[in-house]
Amino acid sequence: MKRRTFLLALSTTLIVAFSSAQTPEPPSILVSRQLAETEGLAEGDVVRLALDAAGAGARPFRIAGVYEPTPDPMRLGTVPREVRMHLPDLLALTSDDDAPTGAEHVARINIALADPANARAFARSVNGRAPGVFARRAAATGSASTFVVLERFHLAIAVVTIVAATVFLLALTIMLVDERRETVGVLRLIGLPAPRILLQVLLEGLLIASAGALFGLALAWVSEGLINRFFQWRYNTALIFVQVTPRVAALCVAIAVPLGASATLAASWALMRRGALRLARR
Amino acid sequence: MTNAVYHDTVLFADRVSRVFQMPAGPVVAVRDLTLTITQGEHAAIRGPSGCGKSTLLHMLGCVDTPTSGRLLFDGHDVTTLGDRARSLLRLRQIGFVFQRFFLLPMLTAAENVELPQAEAGVPKAERARRTFELLDYVGLAPRAGHRPSQLSGGEMQRVAIARALANRPRLLLADEPTGELDQTTGEQVAALLDRVNADGTALVIVTHDPALAGRARRILTMRDGRIEHEATQ
Ligand SMILES: Nc1ncnc2c1ncn2[C@@H]1O[C@H](COP(=O)(O)OP(=O)(O)OP(=O)(O)O)[C@@H](O)[C@H]1O
Ligand SMILES: [Mg+2]
Repeated sequence: MKRRTFLLALSTTLIVAFSSAQTPEPPSILVSRQLAETEGLAEGDVVRLALDAAGAGARPFRIAGVYEPTPDPMRLGTVPREVRMHLPDLLALTSDDDAPTGAEHVARINIALADPANARAFARSVNGRAPGVFARRAAATGSASTFVVLERFHLAIAVVTIVAATVFLLALTIMLVDERRETVGVLRLIGLPAPRILLQVLLEGLLIASAGALFGLALAWVSEGLINRFFQWRYNTALIFVQVTPRVAALCVAIAVPLGASATLAASWALMRRGALRLARR
Repeated sequence: MTNAVYHDTVLFADRVSRVFQMPAGPVVAVRDLTLTITQGEHAAIRGPSGCGKSTLLHMLGCVDTPTSGRLLFDGHDVTTLGDRARSLLRLRQIGFVFQRFFLLPMLTAAENVELPQAEAGVPKAERARRTFELLDYVGLAPRAGHRPSQLSGGEMQRVAIARALANRPRLLLADEPTGELDQTTGEQVAALLDRVNADGTALVIVTHDPALAGRARRILTMRDGRIEHEATQ
């Protein structure tokens, strides 16, 4: 059995629970995956926690489990080496003889409800029963404004990318269609009406655009996995960095397919009007 | 009126002109030209380069529209037709053969011949039969599955003739059909065109080649957008 002493870092999030009857066994704690990995800890190990680096007044704790901390994009880069313990154990550890109830102040606690829909009613009830306590429903995203800015940034990048890609696509289709000028001319000479050829070209454009969109999505899905894996490894977090949701995928297809098809159509249009004669006159 | 007079007339060009508006000023390619093509006719158009032969042929074939004058196909004025109607007329009634063959390179010989039939709505089985018959007619049945790049110039031109005949047109127009061929191959193609005409299709050939022109019963000589001389033999 391993016994270790190290400095307790107080986590900002504190899970509050009330421990069951005291046993002679060391009290149980949970350690974050990252801490367990760096210190080589496992479930069932007994560790000694102390308030100072020298290890004075260390107390033993048994590791009841390893948990994955909720990833927080705001704290990216700081590896959460955390311990979660029962509140009485925390008080016991941090109290000194002058202040048996402990010198630590808990200003805020988070309460997770079994049914989040009850949050408002629960807050109202707590506010009514416990004067001096202010309970409110937490916002779904803790630091929403940061993400609004990020989202706009993403949107700007997306718009620039799409505009640039469209210009590129149009140039490419004009080149491709121009390469088929002779074919279109021959078809016109044989007697295929222009709308008939345009329809064919449009169908082809749709097919190519759809294939392109699917390829793009496949690429996105593959790179999603790679990017997430790389950054999760790099920052030692479970945070998801990139996610191609069905909505995003649908949006991509909805933009790419009509765009590709209309690029083909636009490129063919002028050609269609002159194809046959220009060819015949060469 | 015209109907009654030219009952066996396939094409009647009535004082047609074609003027190209160029930045340097208008170019009159065809000037007030009147011409009748009758059923089964074999005509050749000759003349110096730039005298308007191709321009006339394009108008006769409904690829180009006269800037003035009328063009009657089977008694119907085609100068006022829309693009769709003119396309269908080309598809069903007029065949084209060009100096540079203009086969579709990605299709086989058979597919090239089949394409106009498919567009005209010919059922698949009949299409296959007619395609084989046509390729056999031009002596290329064994090459049906070959692409144009696998064929010689003369063979490509014969496929092009088969394609032009696909929908049994009443009129076959050929612009320098032997222009890219050596003498022997050119003669083979000329003989094939003779046979097409003998089988009933009206034939108008534009050519610089006196030998090819000499095969026609009617020889028109153009100069400056007009028919300067006409001879029948
Ligand atoms: N698309 C066009 N735009 C402007 N001018 C044209 C056009 N097509 C033909 N022309 C002019 O019309 C005249 C007749 O041209 P056309 O091609 O009919 O001559 P051609 O008799 O067929 O000559 P060739 O024997 O060299 O083929 C020429 O002066 C030519 O420059
Ligand atoms: Mg010419």
